[in-house]
Amino acid sequence: MKFDTVIIGGGLAGLVCGISLAKRGQRCAIISSGQSALHFSSGSLDLLSQLPDGSAVECPAKGVEELVRQSKEHPYAKLGVERFVELAEQSKEVLQWAGVDTVGDSERNHYRLSPVGVLKPTWLTFRGYVNSEKATALKWKRVALFNAEGFLDFYPQFLRDELRAMGTICEVHTFNLPELEQIRQNPTEMRSANVARLFDSDGAIDALAEIIRSQKGDVEAVLLPAVLGVDCNDGVKRLEERLGCEVAVVATLPPSVPGLQVQTLLRRYFQELGGVYLPGDTVVGYKAEGDRIETVYTSNHGDIGFRADNFVLATGSFFSGGLEADNEKVVEPLFGVDVVYTENRQAWYDRDLFQAQGYESFGVRCDENFNAQRAGRTVENLYAIGACLAGFNGIKDGCGAGVSMLTALHVSDVIIKKK
Amino acid sequence: MAQQSEFNFEQCIKCTVCTVYCPVAAVNPLFAGPKQAGPDGERLRLKHPGFYDESLKWCLNCKRCEVACPSNVRIGDIIQAARIKHSKKRPGLREFMLANTDLVGSLASPFAPMVNFAVGLKPTKMVMDKMVGIDHRRTFPKYAFGTFECWMKRQRRKQAKFARQVSFFHGCYVNYNNPQLGKDFVKVMNALGVGVQMLKGEKCCGVPLISNGLIDKARRQGEHNTALIRESVVEKRLPVVATSSTCTFTLRDEYPHLLDIDNSDVRDGVEMATRYIYRLIESGVVQLRFKKDARRLRVAYHTACHVEKLGWSYYSLALLRMIPSVELVELDSQCCGIAGTYGFKRENYPTSQSIGESLFAKIEASGCDVVSTDCETCKWQIEMSTTKKAIHPISILAEALE
Amino acid sequence: MTKQFDVIIIGGGATGAGVARDCSLRGLKALLLERGDIATGATGRNHGLLHSGARYAVTDRESAEECIKENMILRRIARHCVEPTDGLFISLPEDGLEFQAKFIEACLAAGIRAEAIDPKEALRMEPSANPAMIGAVRVPDGAVDPFRLTTANLIDAKAHGAQVKTYHEVLDFVREQDRIVGVTALDRRTGQKQEYRAQIVVNAGGIWGHDIARKAGVTINMLPAKGSLLIFGHRVNNIVLNRCRKPADADILVPGDTISLIGTTSSKVPFDEVDNMYVTADEVDLLLREGTKLAPSLAHTRILRAYAGVRPLVASDDDPSGRSVSRGIVVLDHAVRDGVEGFITITGGKLMTYRLMAEWTTDLICKKLGIDKKCVTADVALPGSREQEQALSKKLYSVPVAQRESAINRHGELAERVNTTSAAKRSLVCECEEVSVGEVEYALNELDVHNLVDLRRRTRVGMGTCQGELCACRAAGLMSEAGKYCTREAKQDLANFLNERWKGMAPVAWGDTLRESQFTTWLYDGVCGLKNQKNTI
Repeated sequence: MKFDTVIIGGGLAGLVCGISLAKRGQRCAIISSGQSALHFSSGSLDLLSQLPDGSAVECPAKGVEELVRQSKEHPYAKLGVERFVELAEQSKEVLQWAGVDTVGDSERNHYRLSPVGVLKPTWLTFRGYVNSEKATALKWKRVALFNAEGFLDFYPQFLRDELRAMGTICEVHTFNLPELEQIRQNPTEMRSANVARLFDSDGAIDALAEIIRSQKGDVEAVLLPAVLGVDCNDGVKRLEERLGCEVAVVATLPPSVPGLQVQTLLRRYFQELGGVYLPGDTVVGYKAEGDRIETVYTSNHGDIGFRADNFVLATGSFFSGGLEADNEKVVEPLFGVDVVYTENRQAWYDRDLFQAQGYESFGVRCDENFNAQRAGRTVENLYAIGACLAGFNGIKDGCGAGVSMLTALHVSDVIIKKK
Repeated sequence: MAQQSEFNFEQCIKCTVCTVYCPVAAVNPLFAGPKQAGPDGERLRLKHPGFYDESLKWCLNCKRCEVACPSNVRIGDIIQAARIKHSKKRPGLREFMLANTDLVGSLASPFAPMVNFAVGLKPTKMVMDKMVGIDHRRTFPKYAFGTFECWMKRQRRKQAKFARQVSFFHGCYVNYNNPQLGKDFVKVMNALGVGVQMLKGEKCCGVPLISNGLIDKARRQGEHNTALIRESVVEKRLPVVATSSTCTFTLRDEYPHLLDIDNSDVRDGVEMATRYIYRLIESGVVQLRFKKDARRLRVAYHTACHVEKLGWSYYSLALLRMIPSVELVELDSQCCGIAGTYGFKRENYPTSQSIGESLFAKIEASGCDVVSTDCETCKWQIEMSTTKKAIHPISILAEALE
Repeated sequence: MTKQFDVIIIGGGATGAGVARDCSLRGLKALLLERGDIATGATGRNHGLLHSGARYAVTDRESAEECIKENMILRRIARHCVEPTDGLFISLPEDGLEFQAKFIEACLAAGIRAEAIDPKEALRMEPSANPAMIGAVRVPDGAVDPFRLTTANLIDAKAHGAQVKTYHEVLDFVREQDRIVGVTALDRRTGQKQEYRAQIVVNAGGIWGHDIARKAGVTINMLPAKGSLLIFGHRVNNIVLNRCRKPADADILVPGDTISLIGTTSSKVPFDEVDNMYVTADEVDLLLREGTKLAPSLAHTRILRAYAGVRPLVASDDDPSGRSVSRGIVVLDHAVRDGVEGFITITGGKLMTYRLMAEWTTDLICKKLGIDKKCVTADVALPGSREQEQALSKKLYSVPVAQRESAINRHGELAERVNTTSAAKRSLVCECEEVSVGEVEYALNELDVHNLVDLRRRTRVGMGTCQGELCACRAAGLMSEAGKYCTREAKQDLANFLNERWKGMAPVAWGDTLRESQFTTWLYDGVCGLKNQKNTI
C-alpha cells in the first residue's frame, strides 16, 4: 500500500493532522491501535491555562510568551509565539470543517464546569456544555439539575453544593423512563453512552422534556449530564426547542459522550476527504533506508506494508502506549526513537498524586520541525505530534489538546512545504 | 504494546471504551458487557470458577470490543475461552443441527429443492421453533442442488493448466448453499491467470461448533484443517484463500486463541480472496479487464465483524473501487446482529434484530442497488431484514469482468 | 459527663477486637477506642497468611504449636475470613534438600501435618510454582482476611453490648493514686474530648502501644520492624508458596481473595516513621527478585501496589539491652510489673494468635475482677461464619453470580443484610471487586464507615485492578447522598483516598500500573479538576 503520509495514532492529534493533509490533496492513512483518549474528554479542549511555575494563564496568546521563556523544551516553544496564535485559530477552523461546533478562543480562556462542580479554565468548549466567562460564577441565578435515576457517573450533590457556593441556586431532580428501567437491569452497563443512545430518538427527548417541564419550576436553565444522544449531536437543541428555556450539559465520568462524538465526526470527515482509517491495528515493524523510514508493517496487514513519503507518530503518552515504561527506562516502542526521561525512577513521581508528576513530561525528543531522532540522528521523514512529545505536562498546564492540535497542524504544514 | 503478556486481561486499565462498542450490551441488559464478562470477570474466575456466569452466552463474538480496546486486551477471546472452560450448558439437538453445517449440508444438498420448500413452510418453521428453538421468523438459507466440491472435481484438469496456483478453502456455505460464489471465485482467479485447487478433504472451519459448545469436535476439525493448510502452504508453497471472512478468521486466529492449535507456521499463508487479489494486482503482474457496457451499480459495502477484526475491508473496498461501473458507498462499520448461528436461536432473535436495526435503516437510506459483504451470515441477515440483495465482492467482480 | 465501663480497650486491630469480643461474651461491658479506623496497623498490613506454624517449626516450636492450634480454630469459627488453600514449602536447587528432612520432623513434632510430595505432583497442584523445584512439602497453610476478621469480632462484640468508637484517640489516662481508672479521648472527627472510666484499661495498640504505655507512666521496650509487601493484580497461585529453608526475606506468596501477595522484607525503623512508611525501590526490587523464584510468572504479572507494616517486636524484660527479642505473646500486668493497677498491655504475637492473645488477656481481666467465666471464643462461630456458603448462594439466587459470590465471600450470612431488591441497589459501584450500591449502603449503615478508606476495608471498594479509578467517585457520591459528609469534605476525602491508593502504586508505577495511574490523574485532576486542599497524605 502506498500513501503520501501514514499517521500512526487515531486520536485528536492524528485525526487533525490527517484532515489537514487530506484537505490539501494528500493521500493519508491513519493506523489506530484501539480507540483514543478522546473517549475521556471533558467536553472542552485546553490550550494553556497554567505556566510551569504554577501561575495561572488568563490569555493564552499572552501567556505563551512567558511560557517560552520558562520552558525551552515545551512544544509551544518550538512553534514560537506567532505560529502559536496562528495555529490556534486554524484548529478551531478544522473542528468546524468536521462539524464540531465550539465556543471560546485563544485570546482569553473561559471556564467549563467539571463533573464535580469545579470551574476550570479552558480554550474551546463544545456547544451546549456548561461554561462561564467568569472563574467564580455562572451566568444563571437559578437552575434545575436533572440526573437519570440510578446513574452513578454523575454527581448532582457535588454540583448543587458547588453551584450554590457560586451563587447559583440549584435544585436537584431525577428522571426515569421505561427504557432506563431496561438499561438499569444490568448492574454495570448504565453508562453514559448507553443512556445517551436512548436520546438519539425524538420519542425519548419528548418524554424527557415532559418530565422536566413538570418538575423544573421557574428556572433560567436546565442542566443535565452529557447523555443526550450519541449519533445525534443536537440533543441539547432538541430539548431546548421543546422546553423553551436554556439547556446545558455537564461531562460525566467515562465513557465521555462528547469525546466519542468528536472522535466520530473527525474520523468521518477524514474519510470523506479520502483518508483511510484503519482501526484496531498496531504497527509491529518497519523498514528504514538510511535516515528515512520506508515502510511500516502492522499486525493486521502482515507482509503488505504501508509505504509512504512521510510518517507521523501520534501515538499518545503512556496511557495510549505511545511511551512504555519498565522499572528502569522509558522507550518509544514502535521505532525506538530517542526519549527524554530521567533515569532515577524515584524522580518520576511526586508523593502527592495532585502535584505535577515527573513522568508526565517524558516523551519523544524532537527538533524544531518535530522530526524524531534515533541515537541523536534526525529521522528525516518521521515526525512526532501530540501527547507522545516531551517537555510538557498536559494536565497540570492545561495544554494537552492544544499541543495535540497545534503540533498536528504544524507538522502537516512542514510536510506540505517539503514537496 | 505488550501483547506478549501471558495475563493479557491485566492490560485492561478499566477505561470502559469497549462498553461503548459492544452491540449486545447496548440492546440486551442480560449480557454483562465486555468489560465485566471479559477482563473483570476473568480475574474473578481465576479466584474461583464459581464466578462464571452463564450470561456470557449472550456474547456474539464479534470482537468489536477488541478493535476498540486501546490496551490490546483480547476481550472477545477471553469471553469465548471462559465459555469453553466453564459453561455447564450442554449442547442439545438445536446446537447439534446448527453446529454441524457440513453434515446437515451434505444431507440436505441432494434433496435441495424439497428441503428448501419444506423449511420455508410456516408449519415447519413453527415446529422448529417450538421443538428445537430455532426462531420461526428467521429465513433459512437455501441449499443448492449439487455441491461445489462436485463441480470442482470436473474442473481439475482445466485448473491444473495455470502456471500460478492457489488452494481454495470454500467452506460449507459455498459448498452447500452458494456454489455460484465458488464458481465466481474460480472465474476471477482464472482471469488473473491463477488456477484453483481444493484442499484434500477440508472440513467445516468449526466456527459453528465453537459457538454451539461442541469444542472437542471443533478442535479435531481444526487440527485436520491445519494439517491440510500446512501441506498446502509449507509443502506445496500454495497460499490458502477463502471467500468467507469468518472461515478465514477462524483458521487464522480462533484456532490458536480458542482451540489451542498452534498454526503459527502457516497462519500468514491463509487469507481472504479479496486480499489475495489485491496483492496480485498491486504487485503489477496481472490486470483485470472489465466490461465496457456494464450497467451502473450502486453498491453499499458492509464491513462484517470479523472483517473489521482482520482489518481487511480495505482490500474488498479497493477491489470494488477498481470496477468502473460500481459506485461505492462505504457503510459505517457496525454489527448486523446475526453472528453466524447466534441469530437463529429463538431466545437471541430480538437481540439480533435490535442490534441490526440501525444498519438496516442506513442500508435502506443509502439508495444502493445491492449490498456487498464478505460474510455469508451477514448476507442472510441483510437480505431477510432489508429490501436489498447482498452479494459477495467476488461475485460483483466476476460479473463485471469482460 | 463520664461513662463507666468494665473494660476499655485501646486499639482496633485484631487483638483489640478479639479482646472486646471475648470480654463481651463473658458479660463484661467493654469500650473499644481506636484512634483511626480498625485494622490500620500491623493487622491490616501483613501477608494475610493463615499460618500452619510450619514456618516456625524449626526455629520456634512454641509459636508453631500456637499457630497450628489457632489455625484449626479459625477454620471453624471464622470460615468466611479464611481460605483453606494449603501451603507448599518448595526447595529450589540453591536451597538444597538438607533443610527439608529437619523441617518435616519439626512440623510433625509440633502437631503440623507435613507431607513430602513429588515436585511433579506439586507442580500439578500449583502450576505457578517454580518448575525447577527439587522438593515440596504440603502443609495446612491458608489465607485469612484481616479486615473481615477484625470486623466480625467487632460485630459480635457490639451484639453483646460492647461499644466501639473509631477515630477516638486516647490523650491521657485518668488515675486515682496508683490505679488507672479511665482515659480521656479525643473524637478526631468532632474535635471533642471525653472521659471514659473503667476498672481495667487494656493497651492493645500494637507498635503504638509503646507510646500508650508511656502515657500511663510505664516503659515497654518495643522495636519497630518494617516489613514491605507487593500485591499482584490477580490470583497467581491458589496454594500458599513458601521456601523450604530458614525463614528469610520475600519467601512467602499468599493468594488472598482476588490477588496474590509476596513478602516480606525486614528492617528496623525509627519510631517517627511508623505512621507514614514508604516502600523503597530497593525493597521492591528484592521482593520481585525473590518472588519470581517462587513463581516465575510474577515477572510478567501486573503489580498493583506496594505497602509496608510495622511488627511490634518486644524486648524481653530480663534483657535491658533490647537485643533479645521475644517473638511470642506478651501479656503484661502492669500492677505486678510496674505497680500500676488497672492496666494491662497485650502485645507481641501475630495475627494468627489474636484470639489466643485475647483469651489470655481476658483471663487476666477476669481474674483481676474476680469473675469466673470461661472463654468460649474458640467454639462460637463469628458472625458471617454461621451458615454454609452454598445455602447462602441458593437464598440469594436472584443476585447476579459474581456479585452474589463476592458479597458472600466478604460477609458470609450477613450478605443477606445487603439490599438487593431493586436494580438500582444491584448496580455496581466497584466493578473490579463487584461491590454493589446495596453493599456500600450496608457498610455505611452498619459497619462504622466514616470515609472512603474505611469503606474499602469493609467492602474491597477500590482494591481491584483500577485502584479506585472508577469506583472512588461513585462511592463518594453515595456517601454524600447518605449524608455522611458535605460536598467539600467528600471531595477532600476523595483526594485523600486517591492519594492513599497512589502511595501504594508509586513504588511500582511502570508498565500497566503507570498507565492506570496516568488515566486516574487524567480523570480526577484533568476532567474533574479535583484538588488536594489539605495535603494530608
